[in-house]
Amino acid sequence: MAAPLELRCWGGGWGLPSVHSESLVVLAYAKFSGAPLKVSVIDNTWRGSRGDVPILTSEDNTVSQPAKILNFLRKQKYNADYQLSAKQGADTLAYIALLEEKLLPAVLHTFWVENDNYFTVTKPWFASRIPFPLSLILPGRMSKRALNRILITKGEPPFFHLKEVEAQIYRDAKECLNLLSNRLGTSQFFFGNMPTTLDAYVFGFLAPLYKVCFPKVQLQEHLKQLSNLCRFCDDILSCYFRLSFAGFSPAGQDTIDANLQKLTQLVNKESNLIEKMDDNLRQSPQLPPRKLPTLKLTKADEESNSFQPLSP
Amino acid sequence: MSLVAEALVSQVAGKVPFIHVGNQVVSELGPIVQFVKAKGHSLSDGLDEVQKAEMKAYMELVNNMLLTAELYLQWCDEATVGEITHSRYGFPYPWPLNHILAYQKQWEVKRKMKAIGWGNKTLDQVLEDVDQCCQALSQRLGTQPYFFNKQPTELDALVFGHLFTILTTQLTNDELSEKVKNYSNLLAFCRRIEQNYFGENGKGRIPLRLA
Repeated sequence: MAAPLELRCWGGGWGLPSVHSESLVVLAYAKFSGAPLKVSVIDNTWRGSRGDVPILTSEDNTVSQPAKILNFLRKQKYNADYQLSAKQGADTLAYIALLEEKLLPAVLHTFWVENDNYFTVTKPWFASRIPFPLSLILPGRMSKRALNRILITKGEPPFFHLKEVEAQIYRDAKECLNLLSNRLGTSQFFFGNMPTTLDAYVFGFLAPLYKVCFPKVQLQEHLKQLSNLCRFCDDILSCYFRLSFAGFSPAGQDTIDANLQKLTQLVNKESNLIEKMDDNLRQSPQLPPRKLPTLKLTKADEESNSFQPLSP
Repeated sequence: MSLVAEALVSQVAGKVPFIHVGNQVVSELGPIVQFVKAKGHSLSDGLDEVQKAEMKAYMELVNNMLLTAELYLQWCDEATVGEITHSRYGFPYPWPLNHILAYQKQWEVKRKMKAIGWGNKTLDQVLEDVDQCCQALSQRLGTQPYFFNKQPTELDALVFGHLFTILTTQLTNDELSEKVKNYSNLLAFCRRIEQNYFGENGKGRIPLRLA
């Protein structure tokens, strides 16, 4: 068995195991691949560092950044992608790039740059989890880093004003959400019935946007209109994070519990699928209601009946 | 649409292509494609919504990995910077402007690398990323002539532009182009586009030769 794996990440709120996108990606992947993680949340004591979160520590390895952590977990045989084809693996990389280029700037802006959101929600939340006096400095630094990233990557000519950059990144993010929604369609996950790396990334980026209550919510409103993406987030939360609704898995879960959890998840998934099939059947196009045999159809009625659309 | 492909091939990695139509000048791939689409030509009309999503995702992958790797190699690898990039970038300008502008550009690129998390990457890690990107492109292309089967799209133009630049630009070491050459279907793809659109029998004017 692999050495115990410990993950340090930002904590949860609003029904999420973590409000930090990158931490959430790692947590979701660990659940999907069955990796036993001991999660320690950053709190307002001086234990541990705050930079470069999430961090995974194993015996003598320290890995940061979600991509590297996921690679490390895969090497330890916790692989959620084992049944993907080569082309699906390639698609995963491409969609992750799409998320980072098109969605991430707007998510960063919503959390860290938009003044109303930052001062009323983000800053107080993070400051309450950082010890004084760092709580006065770190949130500001994180905000500046987010703004920097947006401006350096997106603020090139022909944009010369922050407002134009903001308009463009929100346009891009809305388009990205639409593309994701089109790609997901009615499937439970992006590649069939089992969640993979791509699902972890999409969940990590979307769930905080979906759940955290902000004063300025234009991107959130757009996301809420895409019901399949909302359903996707809710499904993952209820299937994989229900056992620890307010927090996350207790430390040192042993194998039997893990297997039982997996079995429960499979059963839940099956029942979800059956529900969905049921829904689909109910919503499928109904035949036009039969007229009573005694009524004679007029000519106009006959025509309109024959052109009844057969599919939604 | 050979126009878009030509615009790309005239691009030196990191510089902006532009087209000149009447009084208008449109620069960068995205706006050029939109502009051409508004004029009634589009390469991706035949794709359905899911395919369009895939195409956009792959275009971002190329921008994210290949373009950034090209910039890294040009501006953050000391050997290449000293021998080639500085003199090539500063060439049109008199002293001391040539040095000042080259250093300024280098500082800008390094700042960008740091902002997106590439600041601490070594050359080997960058080459590994390029390899991963090429592998994804190669797997997506498979044995088809173009990425979306029979007709070229914006994605084909973008990939051709980058791969061709990597294959034909002389640098201090050949590791970047070697990574691309490992994938025979990508090489065949580049040759096919070069011959069909830029060859002696084709419509292009630029003589291009692949090693």
